[in-house]
Amino acid sequence: MRTEELEIRAGDRPIREVNAEIRAAFAEGRDVVVRDTRSRHNLGVGLPAAARIRFEGSVGYYCGGLNDGARIEIERNAGWGLGEAMAKGEIVVGGYAGMAAGASMRGGVLHVRGDAGPRCGVAMKGGDVIVEGRIGYLSGFMAHAGRLIALGGADEACGDSLWGGEVWLAGPAKSLGVDARIEAPDAEEAAAVEALLAGRGLGDSSRDWRKVVSEQRLWHFESRDAKAWLMI
Amino acid sequence: MCGIAGRILHGSGPVGRDLVELMDAQVHRGADSTGFALYGPPRERGYVVRAVGMDRAALGPALDEFRRILRGHGSDFLEDPTWDEADSAHVSVRMVADEVRGADLGRWSRDADAIADRLEVQSVGRSLEVIKDVGGAAEVADKHGVRGFVGTHGLGHARLATESSVRPTASHPFWARPFPDVAIVHNGQITDYYLWRNRLERRGYRFMTENDSELIAVWIADRMRRGVGKPEALGQSIREIDGVFTYLIADERSIGFAKDRWAIKPLVAMGKAPEIAVATEEQAVRRLYREEGDVTNYDGPAITRTWPAAEAGAPPALAA
Repeated sequence: MRTEELEIRAGDRPIREVNAEIRAAFAEGRDVVVRDTRSRHNLGVGLPAAARIRFEGSVGYYCGGLNDGARIEIERNAGWGLGEAMAKGEIVVGGYAGMAAGASMRGGVLHVRGDAGPRCGVAMKGGDVIVEGRIGYLSGFMAHAGRLIALGGADEACGDSLWGGEVWLAGPAKSLGVDARIEAPDAEEAAAVEALLAGRGLGDSSRDWRKVVSEQRLWHFESRDAKAWLMI
Repeated sequence: MCGIAGRILHGSGPVGRDLVELMDAQVHRGADSTGFALYGPPRERGYVVRAVGMDRAALGPALDEFRRILRGHGSDFLEDPTWDEADSAHVSVRMVADEVRGADLGRWSRDADAIADRLEVQSVGRSLEVIKDVGGAAEVADKHGVRGFVGTHGLGHARLATESSVRPTASHPFWARPFPDVAIVHNGQITDYYLWRNRLERRGYRFMTENDSELIAVWIADRMRRGVGKPEALGQSIREIDGVFTYLIADERSIGFAKDRWAIKPLVAMGKAPEIAVATEEQAVRRLYREEGDVTNYDGPAITRTWPAAEAGAPPALAA
């Protein structure tokens, strides 16, 4: 049986001290709520499996980075690098996630209820990012694997230089990045994405999916072709 | 890395204190040097001149020389100059100079810059005062009494030196000489710095430092000389200057920013118009707005915006 959640206040205190208290609470099997978060950086980095933590308010950079299986809830907004290099677990953000949410993540689910900033899912190597709003400029940049799912569409240069990941869009992209193309997903893949969404209370079978994948021309980059890839 | 900040108060208030808070919260982004562009009550006659002398022991003769140049342009000191009393070899000087003949600050500043090796002008303005030095926010604030500065708005900068040496005069903000009251702070790198520097030097502009950020100030001055308005110049800079940048530009009436096409350098804003705080990091503006509130993230590419500053005669800001 879980005990009542332990309150930890961030305020102006050293983040090292706050994170040490969070880890100590988990070692005792307690859930944690962090208050007075003040958009501070590096809150809840490297949390273990089975841990549960809520941040009341907004957090700064790298919250939930290196997550190893914890369930992390952020009431309002998150800054840069949310859930960077997450291995497993779940992160839910109530509002906006800043630049490079889910960067290099390898597993788990990152769920953003609002919009996400530029380079969302950059260099992802696995797992799922779900954004209920729009994803920003250059989202999915160089993703190797995993799914980046955006219900509100994408800003410019979506899926730029994708290697093997997929960007799923239920709304339009302002433009595609280099070496990205849109393909119609097959029914089985779309059903898997819909099942993932339905499990999070976001089921809607009427969506018109666009799947952005790599055109694979950059897989065999030749320096003599460099000019073809210049963006300016 | 570097960190930048801007603050506009609703009327005249403790803008120095607020900017020190904003920069202290970002001291981890760079503590090689810290600088402030502070806008006090505007003078009706004459200019505040801020300068740095590299040899404290030789300040007297340098000030005599500076005054001789001023007199040559029909001006003079309106008040006795004051300077910091620290132990450092360099010394920061505040002067108040009368109007120059024909209001030709360009001609005067070219002559004044001839003695920049002894006393280098950092800013000239009806209300602008640039205070900058080596060290972190608290250290620079303590040395120069920045927290006590009362004014309407201002900029701050924390420098992690990457492109050039650490010297008080190579720190931000940079004044867009010779235009009074115009200053910039920059976070990023200008990659076509030498190309633009060569072009601008051929047009007769002088660079005082090797700092790539100074280019933005000179580039803006060139556009202003050609009659380009500041909001338009901000947009042009995004198309014409190559590099990663978010920079803030202030004058006696506003603060604006431009962000490059690659969307690398962040900027967030918080506050209720006309009062606003902008900074590289959200946790910095939260030093001034401790409660949760609406934050605007300027995370996208190729963005410009300008916020008006309050009139100096507007009601005073409420104490926090």
